[in-house]
Amino acid sequence: MALIRAGLQRIANAFSYGQGGMLSRFMNNLVPIENKTTDTTKEVINECNRLIEQNTSRNFAIIHLLGKQWRVTDGDLLVVEGYWPPNIGDKIRLDKVLLAGSKDISLIGRPLVQPGLVNVTATIISKGLSHTRTHFKKKRRKQFMRINFQKAQQTMLRINAVEIANKINETPKNVF
Amino acid sequence: MSAKHLFLQPGFVRAPLQNGVGRYVCQLQRIVLKFCKSHGASRGMRDFIEQDLVEFAKQNPGVVVYLKPRRHRGPVVVGEYLNGERVWLTVHNKTHSEITKWIEVLRTQQCNVSNIRLRKYQYTDHPSIQGPWTPWTFKHPELNVDQLPDPKWGANNRLPRTATDELRLLFEKQKLNEQELKTGE
Repeated sequence: MALIRAGLQRIANAFSYGQGGMLSRFMNNLVPIENKTTDTTKEVINECNRLIEQNTSRNFAIIHLLGKQWRVTDGDLLVVEGYWPPNIGDKIRLDKVLLAGSKDISLIGRPLVQPGLVNVTATIISKGLSHTRTHFKKKRRKQFMRINFQKAQQTMLRINAVEIANKINETPKNVF
Repeated sequence: MSAKHLFLQPGFVRAPLQNGVGRYVCQLQRIVLKFCKSHGASRGMRDFIEQDLVEFAKQNPGVVVYLKPRRHRGPVVVGEYLNGERVWLTVHNKTHSEITKWIEVLRTQQCNVSNIRLRKYQYTDHPSIQGPWTPWTFKHPELNVDQLPDPKWGANNRLPRTATDELRLLFEKQKLNEQELKTGE
């Protein structure tokens, strides 16, 4: 695949359409490099680790919770619907982190970021019922009418912290 | 026009007094169980009072429990919350287990959450951290100084590949297969 990409790059250059050229959608920055690879990787990782250590800006994470993806940051409120066992006052860790980031860096999971790298903690603050939803069905001229009412269970969460706990590219502290 | 006249008011996710940021505080403050000592409609309520009420009060020291017997009136549960709301629930002819469940709902909810229709299921003070996307995000800064219109920026790059392009691609692939190339991947 890499070979083909590199080839496409060269072809695109050959076509000399420039930035908006016909083949620009096949292009990316993966130009053939001889010995620079390891140095660049190390530099980027060091820079990211430095940013994580300084912790100058607010972190955010995309978490997977009950089949939905939520973008969360410190102090957020979430409402999830349906039966969910955690009760009020419980503190939980949301482990399925798909992506985490701060102002200048993003850690993208494939599909999840390494376990133990990002800590997302939350508190359950309320468990109640939703408003009454009316399901009304009627077929005209067929003497058919149904009406159903339902309430779903709603759980409200407060996100306490989103923190990048570990340095990247270090051996994972395997918590599971 | 406001939504004041509506029976079911829409609203957004809110939590009173930053609940859960430092510590969690149970929002139910007071619960009043009104019942009749003889009427059949209060039977489930009386069962609950006899069997579970002491346990409930022990487990929730922060909740004040009142009992209010009254003759030949229907059984009612009233919960009062920290934000001043009062939830009135009639439990006429409800069984013991149903009443247990309803009281659990009163205990765990933070206020009368079922009288508003939630318009959003998330609330955040910081909607964007890396900055919102604009059409100029990740664009080359050269675009700022170039004279437009310019075919360099405005070319149609969604056209299908022509036969000539295909041939040239094939040729380049063939050349690549002959010599190995190292990439940054």
